[in-house]
Amino acid sequence: MLLLLLLVLAPTVGGAMSAGAQESETSGAEAPADTSAAGSDTTAVSGVSGLDLSNMSPLERIQALAELSEQGIQQQPDSTREAGPFFQGVQNVPKVGALANVRQYTYYGELITTLTFRKNSLFTNKFNWSWEEYRKQDKTVEKRDNKFTYGLGDNLPVKVNLDGSWNWSEDNTVNTAGYANLSKRDQKRVGMSANKLKFKTGFLTNSAKVSAGFMDQASVNQNQRNDLQEGKMDAGFQSGLDITKGISIAGRIYGTATAGDRALGATTSPSSANGDSLGFGVYYNKDFVLGRVVVTRSNFEKKYLDFKKNSNGLIDTVGVDEDQKVVTELETVDAISYEMINNFSFGAFGFDTKLTRLTDDLDYSQSGVGLRQKEHDVMDLTLTYASGRDSIAIGYDYLLKWDDQRYKAATENRGRQYNKARDYEFNYFRDLFRRTRLNLRYHEGLSQDIAENQHNENDKDRHQSDFSASLERTWAQKFRADMVFAYQQVQDFNIRESRSSNNNVKDSYEVSPGYDWTISPWLNLDQSYRVYIQYTNYSFSGSRKDDYSKRGNLATRVVVDPTSRLKITLRHDYNKRFAATKTATEASGSSFYSRDLNQSINRIEMDLRFIAAPGVTLEASTYRTRDDRETLGTSSKTTRTYSGELWVGAKVLRKLGNTNPLELSAMVRKYNAFGPSVTETSSDYWEADVWLKWGF
Amino acid sequence: MIAGGKLSFAMLLGVGAVLLSGCLFSPREPEPPGAGVQIDYLPQSKPANVWANLEKSLEAIHSPGWEDNISLDEFRYVPDDEAANQFPGIFDGWDRSREVTFINNFYNSGVSITARMVQAGFVFPPPVGNEMTIEDIIYDVLVINDSDASEVRYRGKCDVIFRLEANKWYIYEWRDLQGESDPDTGQLLNTMGVLRGTFGS
Repeated sequence: MLLLLLLVLAPTVGGAMSAGAQESETSGAEAPADTSAAGSDTTAVSGVSGLDLSNMSPLERIQALAELSEQGIQQQPDSTREAGPFFQGVQNVPKVGALANVRQYTYYGELITTLTFRKNSLFTNKFNWSWEEYRKQDKTVEKRDNKFTYGLGDNLPVKVNLDGSWNWSEDNTVNTAGYANLSKRDQKRVGMSANKLKFKTGFLTNSAKVSAGFMDQASVNQNQRNDLQEGKMDAGFQSGLDITKGISIAGRIYGTATAGDRALGATTSPSSANGDSLGFGVYYNKDFVLGRVVVTRSNFEKKYLDFKKNSNGLIDTVGVDEDQKVVTELETVDAISYEMINNFSFGAFGFDTKLTRLTDDLDYSQSGVGLRQKEHDVMDLTLTYASGRDSIAIGYDYLLKWDDQRYKAATENRGRQYNKARDYEFNYFRDLFRRTRLNLRYHEGLSQDIAENQHNENDKDRHQSDFSASLERTWAQKFRADMVFAYQQVQDFNIRESRSSNNNVKDSYEVSPGYDWTISPWLNLDQSYRVYIQYTNYSFSGSRKDDYSKRGNLATRVVVDPTSRLKITLRHDYNKRFAATKTATEASGSSFYSRDLNQSINRIEMDLRFIAAPGVTLEASTYRTRDDRETLGTSSKTTRTYSGELWVGAKVLRKLGNTNPLELSAMVRKYNAFGPSVTETSSDYWEADVWLKWGF
Repeated sequence: MIAGGKLSFAMLLGVGAVLLSGCLFSPREPEPPGAGVQIDYLPQSKPANVWANLEKSLEAIHSPGWEDNISLDEFRYVPDDEAANQFPGIFDGWDRSREVTFINNFYNSGVSITARMVQAGFVFPPPVGNEMTIEDIIYDVLVINDSDASEVRYRGKCDVIFRLEANKWYIYEWRDLQGESDPDTGQLLNTMGVLRGTFGS
């Protein structure tokens, strides 16, 4: 009887349901991801912010509370606000600023107002305004957002929050052909939620949540209006029972309903949505094992206006009569998820298992998509062992997923599109000597695309093998050296004859020794050398010629701190590379390659940072690159290309005043660049982040 | 001694699994290419070739050609405002794996594609250094749905950052700026951000 009762309790929608929904608003809370039997994620997050208010100034505390309030997170009860007068204070924090970069200028203003009341009750209002002007595009965007939240704190036996927002924006864009589009939106929303966490009724630990809201939106894009007025209610309840020490069961139920009117283009119609979700889980944490088994079922039905869509779900209104461009869509989702997670540990051994299955049926009454079905299965196994100087981790992951579709008005499904992937990974770590560590890694993976009944020609397999060995040694924080060797082979095979001409096997090798040497407290040298070699062999002779390429890269960095106020960084990067094509293969197996390209790239870079005064830092950076290319072949060609950049700037961070200080933060940089790809807008521009803030 | 025995057992397990992996990880035998079926990808020796390879990949519906030309280390896609508004949240943290998912889902959806990845007269500057930003590329992609013969055209302006990683050039960042007009009808078209939003999950 108790189990039956629990089965009727609540989970949430989870990913399955929200996947089918068109608005994020429609999804509810996620199923719990931890072993806590009584507390869904939505409710569990409340009351746990992780913030320590005690070390904050009054202004910082108010701002932190406002931020949390905006995110819908309630702070742990603050003892300083438990008692005293009903109205405890008001705080205003205005902020104005400007941003600039290569793409756009942004000017913005912000005002946060916070009212604090007895028993942790808090009202926050945040108003934002911004104006964006684009440098490369004929585009301006203005936004005005206002958001308020009001939490009743501990004044009621349940947690009650009110919130609302008003978002307004206008985006004016003129494209290259001179087409001017105004995209604007005016959205108002108000909502209320109440929840009570972890309350006891007999042996059961329960959590409950209910919320309601109303949204009014008017928007226009490409001269098509998209308006809605909708009200929404949802409620969730979950209950958990500790069967015995370390074993709990929990059930959850969640329901949501939305109703209103929508207008799309010239069409208006009532809209509605309703959904529910049921979940049940067993959670355990006993002796050597920790884990859970959870089953969730979700259903959703939504009726709304939508543009006519083709069988791939893409808007397809070209050549369609005006009165047939908009349809009244009915969308239904039916999803089930199963999850089993088990972590076993015994001494130095650990064995983790994860098994999940998600099935999802999504059906459209009008869209050409018709019925789309999906299944997604995952198995992850991990074995670990750690003892003394050795540790090993072995993992095997398997994924099987498919989707199928019955196009609108079709009598049969098109056939399943399968994707299978399996990965094996072996990692071994050993401390060879003092401060010297060895890591060996081997990985093998295969992913396959399979079209049932060959409904497309895209069947393919990708097989990848990797091996790497790395050795690292550190000498008492003064000198660190490492060496990496890596090998990788990738086989790319398209299975069908219409796609297989480029099938190939790529073998890559990389060797990269390096060191980092702190020569003195004011001087550091870091140098690394890397060689990459890649062979590409095509499976079917005659389709393409095999090739070979090699690149050597020497990177050097010197950091000098002559004083506590000055830091200079010098970098040099030298690359030498060539590419070659196979010309012949002897009977003995030896291959001959002909060089197509010789290239060397030199880049030198310098950064400078100087603290001119407390809170004032001067900065500069420059680089210059020289690229020499020699293209070989029937006619050889040599080119030399230069590119470079210089920026100078300053950072200022000052507080003016003591009790309610005025804060100024400014970062300004002037960029100048040259090179073949540098355009007029990117050759000379400012980058800036400047703001002024005050709290009173 | 006991620890050594357990370690040997674990090592043996690892080696055994490697040997076993030979059976589990064997790719299928591919069919030899049909007569006249050839995709002539260009060597990734300069950004212009990398971008041209995307066009070849699109027209051949050949996803390895797309995957091979986007960064193996780090890839970023930044949508234009229009696409971002249509698919809120979808583009957050869009990386190589999301891009690979997108292109495979897109190609597997049963489409034929005509693509022109640069506008007429656009010339790529010569490559220099290890990283280059090419600005204001206008691409044009016509997608024909095989199942219902519907045609949807995408045309957008973008900035693309290319990087020399190991021995080859790759696309490191693709930033769509805005949708462009259909040159035939003047209608404002969407960028490929809308395709990514539709097929990216």
